[in-house]
Amino acid sequence: MNSHPVIHASYRYLSTMCLSSLLMILMSCSARNETKRNNSDLQENNGVFYAERFTLVRNDGYSKLTITDPWQGAEDVTQVWYLIRRGSVAPPGIDPQNILFVPLQKIICMSSTHLSMIKALDEEHTITGVSGAGFLYDRTLIYRFEKGLVKDVGYDDNLNKELIVNISPDLVMVYGVGSESLGYIGKIKELGIKVLYNADYLETDPLGRAEWIKLFGALYCKEELAEEIFYSIVEEYNELKDYITKNTNIKPTVLLGLPFKDTWFISPGNSYISRMISDAGGDYLWIDTRSSVSIPFGIENVFIKALDADYWLNIGSVNRKDEISAIDLRLEALPCFKNGNLYNNNKRSNSKGANDYWESGSLKPQIILKDIASILHPDLFSDTELFYYRKLD
Amino acid sequence: MKTEYLTLTATFQPSRTRHRLIFPGLILLVLIFFILDILLGSVSLEVSEVITALSGTADTGVETIIMKFRIPKAITATVVGIALSLSGLQMQTLFRNPMAGPYVLGISSGASLGVAFIVLGLSANISPDSLKGLGNWSLVAASWAGAGVIMIVMLFLASRVKDILTVLIIGIMLSGGISAIVSIMQYFSHETMLKAYVIWTMGSLGNLTASQLNVLLLSVSAGIILSLLSVKMLNALLLGENYAGSIGLNIRFSRIIIFTGTSILAGSITAFCGPIGFIGIAVPHIARILFRTSDHKILIPGTILTGSAVMLLSDIISQMPGSDNVLPVNSITALMGIPIVIWVIMRNRKYSGIF
Repeated sequence: MNSHPVIHASYRYLSTMCLSSLLMILMSCSARNETKRNNSDLQENNGVFYAERFTLVRNDGYSKLTITDPWQGAEDVTQVWYLIRRGSVAPPGIDPQNILFVPLQKIICMSSTHLSMIKALDEEHTITGVSGAGFLYDRTLIYRFEKGLVKDVGYDDNLNKELIVNISPDLVMVYGVGSESLGYIGKIKELGIKVLYNADYLETDPLGRAEWIKLFGALYCKEELAEEIFYSIVEEYNELKDYITKNTNIKPTVLLGLPFKDTWFISPGNSYISRMISDAGGDYLWIDTRSSVSIPFGIENVFIKALDADYWLNIGSVNRKDEISAIDLRLEALPCFKNGNLYNNNKRSNSKGANDYWESGSLKPQIILKDIASILHPDLFSDTELFYYRKLD
Repeated sequence: MKTEYLTLTATFQPSRTRHRLIFPGLILLVLIFFILDILLGSVSLEVSEVITALSGTADTGVETIIMKFRIPKAITATVVGIALSLSGLQMQTLFRNPMAGPYVLGISSGASLGVAFIVLGLSANISPDSLKGLGNWSLVAASWAGAGVIMIVMLFLASRVKDILTVLIIGIMLSGGISAIVSIMQYFSHETMLKAYVIWTMGSLGNLTASQLNVLLLSVSAGIILSLLSVKMLNALLLGENYAGSIGLNIRFSRIIIFTGTSILAGSITAFCGPIGFIGIAVPHIARILFRTSDHKILIPGTILTGSAVMLLSDIISQMPGSDNVLPVNSITALMGIPIVIWVIMRNRKYSGIF
């Protein structure tokens, strides 16, 4: 659905957490997971292992959900929610503003990644509003939109607030690109509608991003199903990763993105996609860069480095080789262009420009991993059919 | 007005020896900056590497950087400097206003409207990312179309309206109106598209293909020829349209020649490089100070040389040699141009008497 998936295309994976917090996470990563795991064994797996931006604690009669730093550049922002079953009485001393009665019956989602997670829990019928219906990929949702069961509430400052009030959802799930989003969100809150920040796109660990399904599990009282889905993802992902590590010796080098004019915005080495390439047995050329947003490089600087690239992935919304030439003829001189090692992640996109990679991809990191690994190592798998990616010709 | 002109010629007594020194000096400066612009960039190259690349024996990477990136960019910078300064000079004289520039006719607003239609207008129907799939020529065509429409409107006005000040005010109002439309489009567009549009408005010199460079060179040459044809008209117009008319100048015809020249110059630069600011306003002032004259026979070649030198220097700075990043060239021209304009105005009070 509209720009947001695509913004995520350009910014989401690029736009990740702050450098400082990332370094801390990297340093404390292993130790922290260890302790979390132990803790969670006691609580029967009701913790969060990979995601860094939310925690979920099940208590007697309610769950406590904490979301930290939910937008880019947020520091020490914590949002606490108490999820209470419908019909139960809220424990005393809790601000009713922070209470969500679950399971949710009506939700408005501002990002498409939210949709696929809700769909995975078979709660699609609760989606009553989306942002930018023209960019939906999922057929059922398109059908429901055409039937008028799902409304388009607009986006950002053009949010149709009256429509939102009219739908009167249990929850509006938003994502924050920056603190500026507080403006329009503040207005919805003022109308007495609950607004939850989903920070899944800020997770740089592919599994961390998928783990946000647990949040939806809690919102729909389908914790077990969410756990099940998540653990099958983790298992598949790690198995694949081990298999790739064991069966590959060389690491092909990878170039990402496209230039705009003479600037090339480069995904930093601490981004989601960079992590994915490493796990898929590739060598991302800008692996050493660190930033919370994509970094503007001069085109000649990128060009000279890209001469060493074996593969070129995620090439904007380009469908054919000659579209790259139309953007900048000089790119034809790159060896990866000449060799035809060009793969884009828009195999599953529709005529309106919606791309399933941005809609369902965050819940299918294992499939993205397998796609990239089969591209970089053509002999690795017997079945080489790509899911999200396709070769440009 | 006539007495004013006489006192000015007295103060700005053109000295031939001065010009004999300045012209070769400026040519040398342009050459030095041109060479530096090729030598310096975000990829650090040795002089020897550059020389082998020029002789065609270097490894492909360095050769591509030099032949496909830096040389076209240096040529573009030179051409941009020439075209914008020249059209700025003509506009300042025609409107007898020191703050006039190549864009007072609304050329850049027209171009930005064209680009906004492509970049922002699509966002309602097509995914923002598809912008990246837009060919190089589509932005150029849109920008040119926008600038062309404005040019036709202004030419029509210029041949109808008697008072040149009225034309200036209408031009400024038209620009304002167009900016308002662009703002509405920006308001309704998505962040990605908005960013792409903003990047366009920052200007860029390094994105022209060989064929585009040829088109640019051709159209700028046409604009320069029109400017050279208008030397006499401009000198007469310096005294005001009434006076120029009284000595037998066809005002309507001169306006059309000068407007067409300016529109071709500024329009093609904006189409290929985006709206590059302040060069057009600042450079004619520098040239006037350097040559101490208001005679366009001297000022036109003087402005051409000064413009290319300033633009090349701006490009060198914007590449931030040795660093991975590049700065938008538009910011550099503004940061260089603004102090120059202020300095000129503060230093030369009498100078405003030219207009």
